[in-house]
Amino acid sequence: MIELGIEEKSYTLNMGPQHPSTHGVLRVLLEMDGEYITKAEPVIGYGHRGHEHMAENRSYQQFLPNMGRVDYLHALAYNQGYCMAVEKLVGLTVPERAEFIRVILSEFNRISSHLVWIGAYLLDLGAFTPILYAFDDREHILDLLDRITGSRLTYCFYRFGGTSGDLDEEFVSGARAFIQRLRSRFRDYESLVTKNVIFINRTRDVGVITREQAVKYGLTGPTLRGSGIPYDIRKSEPYSAYPACDFQIPIGEKGDVFDRYLVRILEMEQSLRIIEQALNQLPDGPIMADKVPKRLKPAAGEVYQAVESARGEFGCYIVSQGDIKPYRIKLRVPSFGNLSILPEVAVDNLVADLVAILGSVDVVIPEIDR
Amino acid sequence: MGLLATYWATALGRLIIGLIWIMALVAVNALFLIWMERKVSAHMQLRLGPMEVGPHGAVQTVADALKLMGKELITPEEVDRPVYWLAPIVVFLPVLLVFLVIPFSRSVIIRDMNVGILLILAFSTLTVLALLMAGWSSNNKYAAFGAIRSVAQNVAYEIPLLITVMSVILMVGSFKLSDIVAAQGSYWFILVQPLAFILFITCATAETNRNPFDLPEAESELVAGFHTEYTGMRFAMFFLAEYTNMFITSAVAAVLFLGGWQGPILPGVVWFLLKVYALIFLAMWFRWTFPRVRFDQLITLAWKVLIPLAFANLLITALVLKLR
Amino acid sequence: MLKDKLKTALASLKLAQVSDGDYARTGYHLEVAAGPEQMPAVAQAMLDQGCFLESLTAVDWRESFTLVYHFASFAELCRTVVHASLTKETKGAEAPTISRVYPGADWYEREVYDLFGIKFAGHPNLKRLLLPEDADFHPLLKDFGAEPGND
Repeated sequence: MIELGIEEKSYTLNMGPQHPSTHGVLRVLLEMDGEYITKAEPVIGYGHRGHEHMAENRSYQQFLPNMGRVDYLHALAYNQGYCMAVEKLVGLTVPERAEFIRVILSEFNRISSHLVWIGAYLLDLGAFTPILYAFDDREHILDLLDRITGSRLTYCFYRFGGTSGDLDEEFVSGARAFIQRLRSRFRDYESLVTKNVIFINRTRDVGVITREQAVKYGLTGPTLRGSGIPYDIRKSEPYSAYPACDFQIPIGEKGDVFDRYLVRILEMEQSLRIIEQALNQLPDGPIMADKVPKRLKPAAGEVYQAVESARGEFGCYIVSQGDIKPYRIKLRVPSFGNLSILPEVAVDNLVADLVAILGSVDVVIPEIDR
Repeated sequence: MGLLATYWATALGRLIIGLIWIMALVAVNALFLIWMERKVSAHMQLRLGPMEVGPHGAVQTVADALKLMGKELITPEEVDRPVYWLAPIVVFLPVLLVFLVIPFSRSVIIRDMNVGILLILAFSTLTVLALLMAGWSSNNKYAAFGAIRSVAQNVAYEIPLLITVMSVILMVGSFKLSDIVAAQGSYWFILVQPLAFILFITCATAETNRNPFDLPEAESELVAGFHTEYTGMRFAMFFLAEYTNMFITSAVAAVLFLGGWQGPILPGVVWFLLKVYALIFLAMWFRWTFPRVRFDQLITLAWKVLIPLAFANLLITALVLKLR
Repeated sequence: MLKDKLKTALASLKLAQVSDGDYARTGYHLEVAAGPEQMPAVAQAMLDQGCFLESLTAVDWRESFTLVYHFASFAELCRTVVHASLTKETKGAEAPTISRVYPGADWYEREVYDLFGIKFAGHPNLKRLLLPEDADFHPLLKDFGAEPGND
């Protein structure tokens, strides 16, 4: 270990792939100088299942369930992105009611994803209680979504041309009750976490990401908005029923960990607003487009469809050759770009700060590995 | 009972009965505290905690202890054997010895030494040695990290602790714990030394490695810190020592600030235990509410905030006493 | 309009094609075709206009590859796709890296190398990203899996 006469300046520490704080199967190779990090290199691929290869061997409908397994925390956004991409290729129009249903369910899913993030993140920082409060709230969302979609986590509810089921009265009243409940819970989170001196000291001025870095690394989502850039696909490239809803995009100022945390908290409130408005405006009508072919054979060409998932921009790039199976599907996932900034941001930080920074980027490893 | 009283009168008899009393107390205390921690944490987290084994899970700890005793003692190959074996013992022994001077009531003190409080403070620092032994001998980077952090933390927080205790000693004029309790006959010291109480509680939380100062055991960063490589009964010793340490520091706080065993109607021992467990509940409340303080912030807090405050408290106490 | 500024910036690079895209059908505002050796210059032009690299991938057309770059902008909605065709040479296809312009392209290019075998000249760290480092196959090639037991 230490030889007499030779001073060892740095040593290598390996975090993961099994580690309580790496949120999945991620390995981070750290070179340390005492407690300070001189180099951090993420090693990914432990969860590579070959989704893009699977896409080339399945028909478009058969590939639908795969999308829920890519990002299991916000599966409905991926479901929506893929459905919209294929609908663009085929030229299907989704009826109004289905669009609103898609928005309502996606926003609920976004809130549940953010709740998981808050719980897990605070657990990394040493606060053992907020995760149970967050998961308690999440259970209510999961019950609501379970009634409608039949799943609790890896949803596959939307189909090409609409949705596979409809909302009922019980869902609507349950949703409205939940919105009131969560709003009062936000006050608890604020006093327990946001105003906690220890939490603020752990997160203020830590892991600052500048705007230039954000552009060069192609960051999206709350990781980007914490640095003050108001880019949200729901506003910049509106799709589905979002133009009918009035909501704001919370942004941070400094781009530190605290700003990214605050952005997510405020986003949950905005999601509640969207759900409320969508429920108020829910039109009657069919939930599926008519004349959706049973064997989907989109015309030759390519399409890129972007949607805003809880972690950032999910882009679905499909190349079709007029066959029932896609020729190439590329899943552009937000965590891929967001994690690639870690080597630059982690330098000259303590290991405790690395945990804080890694958590604030909100990566889901299965979507990076696909 | 008469036999017991005569034995109690002799010094040797006191010692033997005292040691049996300590062993029993430590065991029952650990059993009770572990159950209490699980129940308190559960209710704070909107859940129930152990409910199956015994009424409201009261026998759960016994079941866990039996399980731990049955576990294989795995010794990793590259450890420094003698040090590795000694560490759990060294962490536990000083804690036991401190019990000799704790006044449970007017007559239930095993040896009322005239350097009582000094003995407690001196022996408490020996746990640092044990943590260092554990972390170093484990031959594991994570354990070494945990040990280094804990040494820095304990040393840093020892100083304001000592100075705070000094302020109280100044008021009493004696190191004897029974004198300190007696001096609080008319009013408890917490009323005249609130700052000292807050400082003491903060330093005690850091000394016992409890949240928000539990960096040496930070699960999410270092897996398990200095006791990463310990399994089974050896791990249980560290665990036991932590809970017993909590009891000790709460007992000292009760003696110094809350009037020891004094209180109306109920016998002294009951009052004493009530106060001690109230303070332990406070410590548990901290653990389940706050996130963890980062290491450099921890050390900064000790050296730049607590030590000046403790000194200020000491000076003010001295001034007030002089002017009286 | 960002689209016009981009067209002007790209005009000087003498690219094979710079035309408007059919946004409703494809999601692109601007479609560009370039040679792989022109990519660093194209990337620099995009960065100068404030665009970010949305995605970088490849498509295997059996006789050739196409590298597909997607650019977008935070300030204004304008998605640009750049197709760069690569012939498959016997030694292995190679294209210049754009990671000096966009550090975020580092991982995307590693992924393309990992899954297709396309090398990027000048890349600081061209190792496999998703597959184990000692793997000897490229799974997204169209002739991968043609033998039984390989799928």
